[in-house]
Formats: sequence, C-alpha cells, structure tokens
Amino acid sequence: MALLTDGYGTRGGIARYNQDLFDSLAEGGARAFILPRLGDATGLALPPGVEQARPTLGRVHYFVRSILTAWRHGPFDVVFCGHVYMAVLGWTIARLLGARLWLQAHGAEVFEAPDRWTRRAVEAADLVTVVSRATRRALLEWADVAPERVRVLPDTVRDMFVPGPPSEALRTRLDLGPGPILLTVGRLAASERYKGHEQVFAALPALRGEFPGLVHVVAGDGDDRARLEARAAEIAGDRAAVRFIGFVPEEDLPDLYRTADLYVMPSSKEGFGIVYLEAAACGLRVVGGRGGGSADAVGGQTGMLVDPDDSAALAQAIKRLLGEGRGDPRTIEPYRRKHFAVAARRLLARLMAAPRHAKDAA
Amino acid sequence: MCGIAGIFAYLDVAPPVDCGELARISARQAARGPDGSADWVSPDQRVAFAHRRLAIIDLSERGSQPMHSADGVLTITFNGEIYNYRELRAELERKGCTFRTESDTEVLLQLYADRGPAMVGALRGMFAFGLWDARARTLLLARDPLGIKPLYYADDGWTLRFASQAKALLAGGAVSREPDPAGIVGFHLLGSVPEPFTVWRGIRALPAGTTLEVDAVGPDSPARYYQVASSLERRAAEAGDPSGARTRLGTAVRDSVRYHLVADVPVAVFLSAGLDSGALLGTMAELGVRDISALTLSFAEFRGKPNDEAPLAAEVAARYGARHIVRTVDRAEFERDLPAILEAMDLPTIDGINTWFVAKAAREAGIKVALSGLGADECFGGYPSFAELPRAVRLLRPFHFVPGAGRLLRCAMSAAIGLGAGWHPKAAGLFEYGGQWAGAYLLRRAVYMPWELAALLDSDLVEEGMRRLAPVSRIAAELRAGRPLGAFDRVSTLETSLYMRNQLLRDADWAGMAHSVEIRVPYVDPFFLSALPPGDVLEAIDAKAAVADIPRPPLPDPVRGRAKTGFTTPVGQWLRAAAGAAEDVSFSAASRAWLRHVWQAGWTGVALA
Repeated sequence: MALLTDGYGTRGGIARYNQDLFDSLAEGGARAFILPRLGDATGLALPPGVEQARPTLGRVHYFVRSILTAWRHGPFDVVFCGHVYMAVLGWTIARLLGARLWLQAHGAEVFEAPDRWTRRAVEAADLVTVVSRATRRALLEWADVAPERVRVLPDTVRDMFVPGPPSEALRTRLDLGPGPILLTVGRLAASERYKGHEQVFAALPALRGEFPGLVHVVAGDGDDRARLEARAAEIAGDRAAVRFIGFVPEEDLPDLYRTADLYVMPSSKEGFGIVYLEAAACGLRVVGGRGGGSADAVGGQTGMLVDPDDSAALAQAIKRLLGEGRGDPRTIEPYRRKHFAVAARRLLARLMAAPRHAKDAA
Repeated sequence: MCGIAGIFAYLDVAPPVDCGELARISARQAARGPDGSADWVSPDQRVAFAHRRLAIIDLSERGSQPMHSADGVLTITFNGEIYNYRELRAELERKGCTFRTESDTEVLLQLYADRGPAMVGALRGMFAFGLWDARARTLLLARDPLGIKPLYYADDGWTLRFASQAKALLAGGAVSREPDPAGIVGFHLLGSVPEPFTVWRGIRALPAGTTLEVDAVGPDSPARYYQVASSLERRAAEAGDPSGARTRLGTAVRDSVRYHLVADVPVAVFLSAGLDSGALLGTMAELGVRDISALTLSFAEFRGKPNDEAPLAAEVAARYGARHIVRTVDRAEFERDLPAILEAMDLPTIDGINTWFVAKAAREAGIKVALSGLGADECFGGYPSFAELPRAVRLLRPFHFVPGAGRLLRCAMSAAIGLGAGWHPKAAGLFEYGGQWAGAYLLRRAVYMPWELAALLDSDLVEEGMRRLAPVSRIAAELRAGRPLGAFDRVSTLETSLYMRNQLLRDADWAGMAHSVEIRVPYVDPFFLSALPPGDVLEAIDAKAAVADIPRPPLPDPVRGRAKTGFTTPVGQWLRAAAGAAEDVSFSAASRAWLRHVWQAGWTGVALA
C-alpha cells in the first residue's frame, strides 16, 4: 500500500520518482495499491499489478480513506509512505496492518528536524530511502534510526536525455543570437529562492565583457517570476542578457539542453538536483552550488560545485567550463533507470526478508 | 593479528575506489603490522582491500594478504587468529577441499565457500575481517563474538569504508569528523565509548558477535550471531554438578590455554602477582611449553614496598621455570610517552596505560605474542560488583517502584553534596538507579553520572547524546535472554559485554598494537565460557580463588594470600598529576580528572583531533 503525495498522472520531480519506483517494483512482480493526494490515473496505462485510487487532497478525508483502504484492500506487507510529512499517518497504518513501514525522503523537508511525532514515526520505519547522501546525513542528524536502514536511492535520468545536435529552430525562435548560452531550468517559486538565479544575474555583466553574445536562459515559471524579472533587469546590466522563456514541457527539454552551452544553477539547498543530471546526460557541463544534495548530481567529470555566495568563483567556474566544451555524457550512465530499478527491487526484497517491525522486536 | 582496511563503492553512482585514500588509511595502521603490507583492487575498481601484516601463523609469503581463493572468486583481509583452524581445515579436507598454504586465513576462505556467512559460528579465536565475494558481489564484515579485535566502518550512503582503527578512517580524508553526541556522552559517563558508537558520527563500530553484509544497495543491519546472555543461559540450563566443578574448571582453562598457544612464533605471558596470569603460566608449563618468557611490570615508586608485584611474580615464574623479565616504569617515562599514548589511543578511554607499558616492554624483549589474564574477573566473579550489584538491587528495589522517589532523593542529595556533605557525587544516584540491574550497573561503572554532564559539555549535546545513547535501556538490552539469568550470570554478562568489551579489550588492542604485540586472552573465549560450570556453581566453589589450583603444581601460597588484598599501581597518581588534580584526591576523583584531561588533550582540538 502506497501513500503518495504525487501519484501517476502528475508532474514534477517527486511524481516522477514515485512513478519510476512503482514501475520498477511492478516489473519485479510486486503489486501495489496507491492512494494519492494528487494525480488522477483515469485512462492511464498503469504497470501490471499497480492500482491507483482517485486523488484525495483534504487531510482528514485522506486519513479516513487510507484507513478504509487498509481495511478493505488488505492485507499488505509494506506500507510505503512517499513523504516525511505523512510519516505519522504511514506509521499508524503500518501499525494497524502489522506491516513494514518504508518511508521516502526527498530533501528539503528533512534539512530541519520535524515535530516530535514525525520524528518518532521516522525512527520507527523499517526502511528509509533518500535521494542523496546529504539528505541521508541531514536525516541522521535528528533521527535516532540505525544508519543501515537509511539507504540512498538516487533519482534517475530518463532515456530521452541523450546528446544530439543543437536545435537551430529553437535558437531562432527564442532569438538567442550566437551565444554562448547559459541555461537554468527550475520552478520560479518564492519558496525555492535557493536555486541561485540572482547570483547568476549578478555575474553576467562581467561575463558579457568577455563573451558579448552570452545570454542566460531561464526556463520555468512560478509565483516568483515577476520579481526575478525585475531583479534581472536591475542587476544583469543589459535587458537582453536574461531570457525568461517560461515553462518548458519535458519533451522539449532535451533540445533546450543541446542548444545551450553550459548549465548553471548555484543552488544552496537542492535535495538532489535531477536537472543537473539531465543537462549532463545531454552533454552539457554543469555548474552547481555547494550545499544540499547537489554534490551527488554534479560529479567530478561533469562539472563543478561553487559556493553560491562567492560571485567571483561562480564567474570563474562559468568561464572555465565554457572553455572546456562539451562534457562526457557517459558519466551519468549509472543514473539511468535500469540501475534504479535493480536497486529498488533489491531494497524491497531486503525489507521483505526482515521480520515485521524489526524495531520492536530488537 | 594485523591491520585491515577496505573500501567498497557499492552504489552504481559512486565514483570508483580512490586507491590513494586506501593507502592513507592503511598507513595510519602501520604499527599493527610491521612484517608486510599489501593491497588489492578489484578489476572494476569497485572494491579494494589493504592489509598490514604481523606474521604469526605461516610466516611465509604464501600467508600474506589480501588472500584470494584458488578460483579467484573470494578475497579476504583478515586481522586475528583462528585457534581451531587445524580442525576446521581437516574437516574441509575430508569434504575434498585442497589447501595451498598453512595459514588460518585460507581456512576462512574455504569455510566461507562451504558455509557462507554462517561460518563465523564455527570460529574459535579473535578476528575481524572483510571478505569480498565476487560472484554474489557482496562484502561480508565480521567481528569475533566477544569483541577482541576491533572493526570500524563508515557508510556515507554511496561508499562503505572499514578499518581496524577509527582514526585510520579519518586519515583517509573522505570521512566526516563531525562529532557524535552519543559517543561523547558515553565516554563521559563510562570512561570508554560504548559500541556501536564512536566519537565521530560518520564512524560506527561493528558490534562484537555480529556480521554485516554489504551488497549493491549498501549495508544491511548488523546480524548478531553471538550474545553473552544467551550463552550463559544455555550454560545455566545444563545440570550443574558441583562435585565435578573444579575438575571442569581446570579442564576448561587447560583446553583454552592449549588453543591459545597455536602459533609459529614463541608465545610469552604477561605475569602480574595475581592468580589469573599465574594460572596461565602454570598451565602453559604443564602443557609442556619450554622457555616461556614471563613479563612483569614494576613501578619505581613501589620498589621495596609491599605493593611491588615483581617479587611475587618472580616466585611464580621460578616455580614454572619461566624466564622472568621485569620492566620498571617511572613517572618520567609516563610523562615522556604521554603524547604518543594519546596519539595511539584510537577512541578516548581512561585506561590502557598499564597495557601500553607492558606491550612496550614485550617489544623491547623481542616478544610478538603474549597471553594475558584479561577477562578472568568477568567469568570467575573477581570484581566487587558481583557482590555489590545483587545487594543494591535487593535493598533498593522498593525505591524503584515508587514513581519519582529516586529522582527526588537524588536531587536532595545532590544539593546536599553541593553544600558540602561529604558523599561521593555518585551516591546521589543510589535510590534512582540502584534498584534495577541496569541502573545499578551504570552507577557502579559510571565515572560521571548523567545529571553531572551538563556542567562538562554543551547542554544540547548532552540532551541529544543521552537520547540516542539511552544508557540504562542499552545496558538492560544486554541482559535479555530466554529465561532470566541468576545474579552471578547477570553481573558476568554485564561486565563481559560492556566493561570488558568497550574498555579492557579495546585498550588491549590499541595499546598492544601500537607496539606490534599480539595480546591473546584465553579467558575471553565463548568455547571456554560454555565449558565452564554454571555461574551459581562457579560462585559456590569460589572460582576466582580455585584458579590457583588448576596448574600442576599449583600456584605458591604467598600469591594466594596476596591476591585477597589486591594490587595497586601508581598510574592513578601519575594520571592525577598529569591531569593537574589536587594531590589528596581519591582514585575515583583522579579518574574523573584524567577523563577530562584525555578529552581535552586528545579530542577537543580542531574538530575532534
């Protein structure tokens, strides 16, 4: 039984992770009943053995439905809880069912210690999966859980992200000129200001002194866009230096990456940073930010990590990597789905081999 | 005996093993194995092992490590000795295995091929090893049942690193030095760091009597294959025959000593004026060992005084025809060695100084292997705790059942101590902790009590550390067995699985290995423990005194008489002076001052040394 924030039929990083996970487990023969907060799977072809209920957003309603589901569709061996915010609910259901509890943490939500009840629920989990080493470290800072039970299962890169020729059509349509092109992809949300857009804007005047055709393409939309546009106009020197191109559907992303020259996102709090990997998979070099889980996605061969607050270092890294040309996309091969799928099935097998409620039995 | 290390980049996304890092880890353990050094990297660079060798069994090059199985599937890096390797080998040969070396290491490889990870249950000895199975792509880490040989590991979620010493993992450069409040609080409470904690958050001790399997998603939970409480419970369940108990005791000791003599180099003995080490020497002589070297530590301060151990030890050595080496240590030497002691000390501890000097003396005398009487007090009931704990629990139990009473009394008594009442600070905890086994044990072994820590350490650190350490429930967990144990076995279990493991054995390892000396402990052996009569019988025959009659001829009478008063060392005085404490304080207060000194001098430098 899976309690998910984002089920099949939704978009975004967490949704994709969940779908990858249940696709992989289903391939291994596992059956799952998904109860999503968001995501309508009506008309979607779900993997064999996977069922998804209608979404239930309201908390109380969701709680009641999860209890009913547990009662009606059980017995279940494992309760998968897709978000730390729902850990208490996950624990309650697992207890009612006498099932093992598998909890998933994505990043930012565990960088600070949660309330006491959530903490206890996390500590009672039989398995906690996290997307990066930094998330694991952060969780172990406040959770008294055996470190062996906290396993890293990194995000995956979809097979559509592979190198290819730059799209001249895109370059013309967006009127990007000769470049070089710096690219940042991500939601422009006031709650996610850690992504470092403004730090890049601030580096542009100096960079454009050296590369007059350089533009910074900002893909994504959100409630912080107007403010960022104003900031760009203020600090980037030239209005033409930053292009806000709005939301880009996933199928168009590979062309966008292939057309750019460098991926730049000096984020300080990324849980993982799947976009770094997608960019690298398309052959881009990557500048990421130190802090959060970015270190797991920006490897030694694909790019560099800089201190987001050190603008000189940021400009220098951009200059250096622009001079190095394309990156080697083979370095992200271990992030492909087949590796993820093997690991996910192995974790499930390990969980099934352990006695139920190991924590109580110990 | 040796130093081992390894790195396993288990997750597909982890970068390949950094051989430079492995070399740095291994170099930090150079003293553990001066006779050879080698490493091995798997062809795909996902696994690498290093080994520093102290050659004791099969001195030839064929015995060197990391060692591979004939088919190349298995690779091992192993620290320790398997005393029953010849029997295991014979058994495997009967099954058709053929051997290429005379080493115990190869027996481990073949035994694993035959039985898988369950093989650890068949091993009689002290060991810590890493074994790579290239076919299953799993790494097995294992540690001996009672925790004689150390094994530490650091898992960052992508890559697992292991080594014989925690400080070696840090020397590699990739492991975080972030302090671990649970280990730090544990050290301040007990004077040694309780496993599985270390003082660094990123490094854990593999618990004694467990194995750890690591596959492509990382380590699974450590799997326990031995527990002292269950073993003593089984022993107690056998029909105890008090009439034959002395014979059984003698047979068990002789059998264990015989096993612990397996070596291709001479085996010496650390001889104090006590019964336990004397019985080891006597038994060795009785078993026909010739030219035994017996090593005794003597202190310049005590020369000519009744508390000098050397004259009595000389009498014992003479009785069994041993070559007696007396090594005299004085305060000046202690002060000279202190920086090296703190450097070699792998985790903070308030003990180990005696072992440091006796191992140093052994090395000077060219001794590579020595038997030690460590562990006898735990199994024969030699500590005062065997009388004190049952008494405390009996008398104070009523307070345990009145909610809040113990705590209230503690606060009142603490206040009285603060106002100058002449009680020991721990006395305040008597009513709160004394009425239950685990609490009484904590009280007995504590250096500082939980409520005193706030004055020594940051309060957030104390709170988090206490929460994760949960000392009383951690102690109580050691007592868990199918049926409740008798009083003697309870104390024996607690002393064996806590004090002996976290303090005595760990100190014997770092202080011995710093001088490349292997310390063997015949009284610390699960086979020996289960061959002994049940605990209540040991108590009835006064086993701690009966040890004197095991060898033929028995120990001389003056040693028996002396044993009752016990021995002192001037180490307490030195520690007191080194820690800058007032001259007239008791030893208990000296150990508190020394604990603070060790912590400040050795661990509170830049981010925990």
